[in-house]
Amino acid sequence: MTTTAAQAPPDRRRGGAVARTRHTLGRVLATLARSAAIFAPVFLVATFVTFALRSLSGLSPARIQLGEDATPEAIARVEAAWGLNRPFLVQYGDWFRGVLHGQLGTSWTNGADISTLIGLGLGVSLSVAGLALVIGVLAGFALGTLAALKRTTWIDRAVTGFVTVVSVMPAFVVGIVLVAVLAVGLHLFPAAGYVPAADGIGPWLAHITLPALALSFDVIADVARQLRAGLVAAYRENYVTGAVVRGLSPRRVFLVHVLRNGLGPALATLGLKFPALVGASVVTEWIFGLQGFGRFANDSAQAGDVPAVQGVLVVSIVLVVAFNLVVNLVLARVTPAARRGV
Amino acid sequence: MVSRVLSLTSGRVAAAVLALIALLALLGPWLAPHDPLAQSTATLAGPSGSHWLGTDHLGRDVLSRLLAGSRVSVLGSLEVALVALAVGVIPGILSVHLGRVFEWLTLRIADTLVALPFLLFAVAVIALLGNGITQAMLVTGALISPLFYRVARAATLTVARSPYVEAAIVSGASVGWIVRRHVWAKVLPPIAVALAQTIGVGFVIVSSLTFLGIGVQPPAPTWGGLLASDLGYLTYQPWAPLAPALLIMATVWAANLLADAIRDVTGEAGRALIDDRKARAAGTGPAATATAGGA
Repeated sequence: MTTTAAQAPPDRRRGGAVARTRHTLGRVLATLARSAAIFAPVFLVATFVTFALRSLSGLSPARIQLGEDATPEAIARVEAAWGLNRPFLVQYGDWFRGVLHGQLGTSWTNGADISTLIGLGLGVSLSVAGLALVIGVLAGFALGTLAALKRTTWIDRAVTGFVTVVSVMPAFVVGIVLVAVLAVGLHLFPAAGYVPAADGIGPWLAHITLPALALSFDVIADVARQLRAGLVAAYRENYVTGAVVRGLSPRRVFLVHVLRNGLGPALATLGLKFPALVGASVVTEWIFGLQGFGRFANDSAQAGDVPAVQGVLVVSIVLVVAFNLVVNLVLARVTPAARRGV
Repeated sequence: MVSRVLSLTSGRVAAAVLALIALLALLGPWLAPHDPLAQSTATLAGPSGSHWLGTDHLGRDVLSRLLAGSRVSVLGSLEVALVALAVGVIPGILSVHLGRVFEWLTLRIADTLVALPFLLFAVAVIALLGNGITQAMLVTGALISPLFYRVARAATLTVARSPYVEAAIVSGASVGWIVRRHVWAKVLPPIAVALAQTIGVGFVIVSSLTFLGIGVQPPAPTWGGLLASDLGYLTYQPWAPLAPALLIMATVWAANLLADAIRDVTGEAGRALIDDRKARAAGTGPAATATAGGA
């Protein structure tokens, strides 16, 4: 697959290990390169659309700073100070260079550095999204595996029915129900607010559990469904029949033959679910009163603070791209089919 | 296709639920027992004879608000689905026929739209472009159009490689004629599945947006907006979110069920599945049971 592995090793025993490491490294690099080739255009198009938002919206910092009845000269002066009188592509180039250096510009409403503002909210949002992923993956895997192992029994049907119910519950509906039952009704969790992990793991978990649970339903449903389908399909393969005939234990057949080959769709779904998870943070952070990144996006958008909105969107795209790279690497490592470059 | 979908129990149930909800959307404003905007002194009242679902924090009748709000929620999700259909299907079919540059360009755009956290983008773009229902529908429709693009493209690709299309090309048929004559027949069933799915997805998005107060101005009732106003008064009325939440879930569920039913009857095993079920229902062999309806 890679040329590095084919080079003649200088010393036989150490050389084998080196060649293997090189082989693995080459595989990782190949996966990274393939993913980069897919995501570089995505990133370019998305940032361009994001930047074009200002021109499309017709909003201007002059409106926010000077009010509705400013003279045209004053508006022109403010826009020149922000560099908005230059050609569109020059502005885009400047902004894009800044983005590559982590500089997202300054807010129109209060002149604060947007990278700093987003950094403050990111901790909250990533805590919630991370926990939601953990819950979603654990519960989804448990349900999917259970249904696949007990396929066509009442357990399978019960799990499938449960997953169907879970899949039609939007995050904000789940969020409200959780607040009503677990926070307001039973006082098990705080209804709103956030405590950083540095102030204690207990309070931190207590504050992010409900929003994470609300977000995780979607992940649970999709992972469970895809995993069940993947595993059931893998059980029908000839090599599984062969493994059973060879007298391998059911545990070994499941772990070595079925799980590794049936995992692909579920992992790929996870990559697709992540954008939805980031997007739904707008709603959950509103319900649970979290000052995260989705809340920042909503507030900035309502205030017409275009650079802040652009900053949030760029950060969200970077998060999605980075997460998909990780998923692709895991996929390449775990499933035999993906390793062959299929 | 319609009669075959309705021959499945799941198809009938889905169609019945969706029809009921469409009826609510059509007749809702007239069925409402009270003025949905009229306030009264009986705030946060429980269910009673005159207010079946109680009243909200301004004393407005919840049932009337639910009925009056059904139109925006239902029409909104339909509009989103139709916008997505229009924006996605045509480039999807053309991407196979119009050459490599167009194909590459549309594929990259579809990749990008899928990778975007769409709720975040929808909120941002709608707020910046002006907070109106039309902007909201256009933006969300465009954001979920890649589903249609991919479905239409995949179906067109399988048709484009088939011998009968090659024969048509060799005998000098125009692209337009091939699309009309051959491509539509193969592309339509998967698009119907995608449409049912998008109605469900669109419904979730529209309710989420109205929940945030985006797309619809506050006094106008919507299902999402009802939930948002319930949120502040959960201490007094913890049961209040139940009715709008159940309605939203039932609609999404029915749309998904319909999508599955259409997939079942139009897929590879479609006809066989129905024949099999009918034979089992009749308790006899498959001989006496011909398929009831055409496409």
